[in-house]
Amino acid sequence: MIRKFLVFLFAIVILSGCVKKGEDVIKIGIAGPMTGDQAKMGMDFRNGVTLAVEEWNRKGGVSGRKIELIIGDDQRDPKQAVSVANKLVTQGVKGVIGHFNSSCSIPASDVYDRAGIPMITPASTNPQLTEKGHYGVFRVCGRDDQQGKVAADFVTRELKIKKLAVIHDKTTYGQGLADEFNKFLGGKAEVVYYGGIVQGDKDFKTVLISIREKAPELIYFGGIYPEGGLMVKQAREIGMTVPFMSGDGVIDPKFVEIAGAEAAEGTYLTFSPDPNTIPTAKEFIVQYTKRFGELGPYSAYAYDAANIMLKAIEAAGVTEGKAVMDKLHSMEFAGTLGNIKFDSKGDITVAPYVVWITKGGKFTEYWKP
Amino acid sequence: MFLQQIINGLTVGGVYALIALGYTLVYGILELINFAHGEIYMIGAYLGIIFLGIFTASGLTQYSLFLSLSLTVIMSVIVCSAYGFTVEKLAYKPLRNAPRLNPLISAIGVSIFLQNYVMLTQGATDKVFPHVIPVTIIKFYNVTMTTLQIFIIIVSFFLMAGLHLFIMKTKTGKAMRAVAQDKVMASLLGINIDRIISVTFIIGSGLAAVAGLMVAMYYGLVNYSIGYMAGIKAFTAAVLGGIGSIPGAMIGGLVLGLIESLGASYLSSEYKDAYAFIILILILLVKPTGLLGKSEGQKP
Repeated sequence: MIRKFLVFLFAIVILSGCVKKGEDVIKIGIAGPMTGDQAKMGMDFRNGVTLAVEEWNRKGGVSGRKIELIIGDDQRDPKQAVSVANKLVTQGVKGVIGHFNSSCSIPASDVYDRAGIPMITPASTNPQLTEKGHYGVFRVCGRDDQQGKVAADFVTRELKIKKLAVIHDKTTYGQGLADEFNKFLGGKAEVVYYGGIVQGDKDFKTVLISIREKAPELIYFGGIYPEGGLMVKQAREIGMTVPFMSGDGVIDPKFVEIAGAEAAEGTYLTFSPDPNTIPTAKEFIVQYTKRFGELGPYSAYAYDAANIMLKAIEAAGVTEGKAVMDKLHSMEFAGTLGNIKFDSKGDITVAPYVVWITKGGKFTEYWKP
Repeated sequence: MFLQQIINGLTVGGVYALIALGYTLVYGILELINFAHGEIYMIGAYLGIIFLGIFTASGLTQYSLFLSLSLTVIMSVIVCSAYGFTVEKLAYKPLRNAPRLNPLISAIGVSIFLQNYVMLTQGATDKVFPHVIPVTIIKFYNVTMTTLQIFIIIVSFFLMAGLHLFIMKTKTGKAMRAVAQDKVMASLLGINIDRIISVTFIIGSGLAAVAGLMVAMYYGLVNYSIGYMAGIKAFTAAVLGGIGSIPGAMIGGLVLGLIESLGASYLSSEYKDAYAFIILILILLVKPTGLLGKSEGQKP
C-alpha cells in the first residue's frame, strides 16, 4: 500500500516537473502591498498589470513566449520588500513592476540592480529612487520634487496662503514630499508647524490641537490615505475648518470613506491629470472597468508600466537584463496616459502634475500650473 | 490647550484602562500574562462593525439608532466573552499545572492564531465603521470635544466603578479575591476554582469588547493588527499601576493616556508610541511592583 502510494507520489513529482519545463514562459514580477492597510493600492496594481499581461498573452505572448505573473507582497514594509525582491530574483523573473511605496522601492531596487533585472515602478515618487544611479530602475510616475513644486505654487499663487502647517508620516515618501513642498514654498508662506506622525497610528488629535493653537490657514500632509483620512476627520472633530492638502498617496476613494464625505470636502490633492479626459486612455478604461470595476488612481500606471516592460523585452529580442534596459532607455513608448520617454536617470521626461479637489465625495481636476 | 489634551488623554486612557483590567484580572488569579487579550479587543472592534452592519442592513438602525447600538454592544460583549472563555478552556486550562513559561508561550500562540484568523476571514484591508452615529461637536470655552468622547469617558468610568463594586460586594467577587490570594485554600473552602477562572476570563473579555467597540466608533477604522499595539500599551498600563491590582490598572490606563497625550503635544508627536515604553522601563527600574502593586513576597 505504502509502496503504491510512493510510486504515485513519484509519478506526480515527475509529471509536474515535465509540465513546468515543457512550457517556455517569461516570468514578470509584481511587487506591492497586497495585504495590510494599503492593500487597495496593491490590488489596483495587480489588476492593471494583469490586464496588460492578459492582452499580450491573447496575442500570443512576447516573441512567442507566454507571460507568467509572479506576485510579491511587501506589506508596505521595507524589510519585507527586500525579501520579496530576493524571492522574485530567485524565481527567475525577467522584469519587475513595483514597488508601490518609495520606502520599499529604494531598498528593493538595490536587489534588482545586483541581479541585473529591470524594474519599473508605477507609483514611487521619491527623488532618491532614480538618483542612486541604478541603470535598470525606471518610473512611469512623476517625482516628488515636481509634485511638491506644483503644490507649493498652488498654495502661494492660487490660494495666497500666508501661514500653514506641514505634517508627514516619517516615511521616505511622506517626509520626502513634505520636504520638497517646504523647499518650494521658498519663504513665501510661513510654516508655523512642521512635524511627523507614526504610520499606522489612529489618534492625531493631540498633534492637531497643537497645530490649532498656531492658527494656520492650511494643513499640508505628506503621507498615505489611511492616516490622511483619519487626520481630516479628527481635525473637523476638534473644530478646525481650514483646508487640507496632500499628494498622490491620498487620492483614493478610501480616503473619503475613512474621513466621511463631509470632512473630506474641499481637500486639495496633487496628482496627474484625470485619465478620463485623456483620449488614449479610453479603451483601457473600458476594458478595466469591465473586468475589475472602478479604476484606482494607479491602475493606469501599472498597466502602462507592464506594457512598457513587455514592449522593451520584445524589442530586445532577448530577456537578458542589460539588453532590455538599453531598450527602455532608448525607446519611446505610447502609453495610455500619453507618450513616455525615459531620461538617463530613468525618470519620465514630462511629468504633468495638476491639483485636484474633493467635492461631494469625488475627486475632480481643479487647477493646472 | 492643556485642558483639551487632558480630555483626549482621558478618552484614550479610559480605553487603555478597560483593556488593562483584563490583563490584571487574569494575572491576579493565574499569574499568567494573557498576551491574547489584545486580540480579544480587536475581535470586539470587528464584531461591532459586523453586528451594526447586520442591524443597518435589516433596517433596525433606521428604525431606532439607540436600540441598534445597544444590541450591537450586547451581542459583541456576549460573543467576545465566548471567545475569552474558549481560549482559556483550550489554551490555558490544560497547562495549568505546567511550568509558568508554557502558558505564556501558549498565549503568544493564541494571539498569532487569532490575528491570522481575523485576517483570513475578514480580509487584510482596513474596515471602516459605518457612519451612522451622528457626531456633535461641543465647544466649551477653548475646549472642543465630540459627544462620542464624552460617551467613551463616561462608559469607561461607569464600567470601572461597576467592576470595583462587583469585586468588592458580590459573592463571586469575593470568591475571585479568595482565589487570587490562595488557590488551594479557596478550593478547600468549597470555591469552584475552574468556574471562577472562567468568570474572570468572561469579564475581562467583555470589558475588552466594549473597549474595542468604542475605539471602532471613535476612530472609525479597524484592521486585524490593532490588537497588538493596544495590547502592549494596556499591558504597560497594567504594569504601571501594579499588575494584579484592579484600581492600579484603572489608574495606570488613565495615566498612560494622559502621558501620551501631553507628551505628543508638548514634546513631539513623532515618538508618541515610545513614551509608553519609556514609562514601562522607568517603572520597572524604580518601582518594579508598579504604583499600587504589592510585592510578590506577600503571596505564598
